[in-house]
Amino acid sequence: MYEPKIIGFLCNWCSYRGADTAGMARLKYPPNVKIVRVPCSGRISPELVLRTFREGADGVMVLGCHIGDCHYATGNHRTAKRMPVLRNLLAYSGIDPERFYINWVSAAEGEKFATVIHQFTEKIRAMPPFSEVVG
Amino acid sequence: MSERLPALREAIRKLLPEVEGVLGLRRGPAGIVTPHLFVAERAGELDALAIWPKEPLPDVLRKILKAHPTAKLAVVCRRCEERGIVEMSKHAQIDLARVTLIGLQCTRAEAEFCRCAKPATIHARITVGKPGEGVADRVTDDFLKKDQAGRLAFWKEHFLHCIKCYGCRNVCPQCFCNVCALEDETWVETGRLPMPVPPMYHLVRAMHMTAKCVACRECEETCPTGIPLAIHFRLIARDVEEMFKYETGAAIEQSPPHFLVLEEGEYERTGLPH
Repeated sequence: MYEPKIIGFLCNWCSYRGADTAGMARLKYPPNVKIVRVPCSGRISPELVLRTFREGADGVMVLGCHIGDCHYATGNHRTAKRMPVLRNLLAYSGIDPERFYINWVSAAEGEKFATVIHQFTEKIRAMPPFSEVVG
Repeated sequence: MSERLPALREAIRKLLPEVEGVLGLRRGPAGIVTPHLFVAERAGELDALAIWPKEPLPDVLRKILKAHPTAKLAVVCRRCEERGIVEMSKHAQIDLARVTLIGLQCTRAEAEFCRCAKPATIHARITVGKPGEGVADRVTDDFLKKDQAGRLAFWKEHFLHCIKCYGCRNVCPQCFCNVCALEDETWVETGRLPMPVPPMYHLVRAMHMTAKCVACRECEETCPTGIPLAIHFRLIARDVEEMFKYETGAAIEQSPPHFLVLEEGEYERTGLPH
């Protein structure tokens, strides 16, 4: 069985704190997700996600604050607008859109963070490696 | 096609005294059609007026208006160019108050050529020709029937031929940024051919054309290797219309979705988790 490489872009104010909460509660989750902390999930440009795939990631996840809770008021509205378009574009390019995951995790949702990481890792693990699929 | 040309010539002749120039297409001595600014002093040049092959004029218009900040111009535009001009005005590139639109209606054959869904102009005050009906985009619909592996194979085959000449970007009537992400080494590596998967150049361009592509199909026309680039753009345009109820170049007052925060009901249509 192969170990999938997953990159997680986490917003500093909610999801990254959510990861801290999960850690403090000593919740177990798979270590496949390499976390990149960003100031806001709105910072994640489509280019960044595409390049992450180009560099060989098997899955990419973007986690941000819930809509309405953004530290910058409407930063995650940007995420909610362009990430679904990018997801569809991946599907139109023949790349499984399931490899790209967007969700909202608040600083208090340590348990949700662990569940989300767990579910996504298992989903990616069940797929063949990205490099094999694209040849 | 033949009856539209004299009618357009007449319309331009009538308009010439009111404006400083009319931007249209002219057949040069060698038979090549290029953009040309017709002015009242040289009205004789109108004899060489041409309408086909089409050539995107919005970017030419933008450059002239920028160089002459008070000039009032008229422009011959098909529906796709009209969409382009409206979009550019939304992005503060063209002042619509200084532009008179002369709408040139496309014929059925021209609409077939462009696989155009909406070839009839809607904003132009003066129109030439009969508004035509749209045709279905069979190339895009056929592509949509493919499964995931089929789509990947389809693009791999096509992008294998891409020589990264940047012709599709250069001809695009909506590419007006001073700094282009496609020239940034971070995203698109110089000299990397064939395209990596995902094809950074094409997907970054497709993302940047979201809610901007005017469906003129100039990128496909200019591509030396005949890549059906419009498929990506048109599929995304359909999604944007569905998710954000935004049709490129339709309503002048409606702001593009990336200018605004989420509106009522939009989030539900994006398919993101609640």
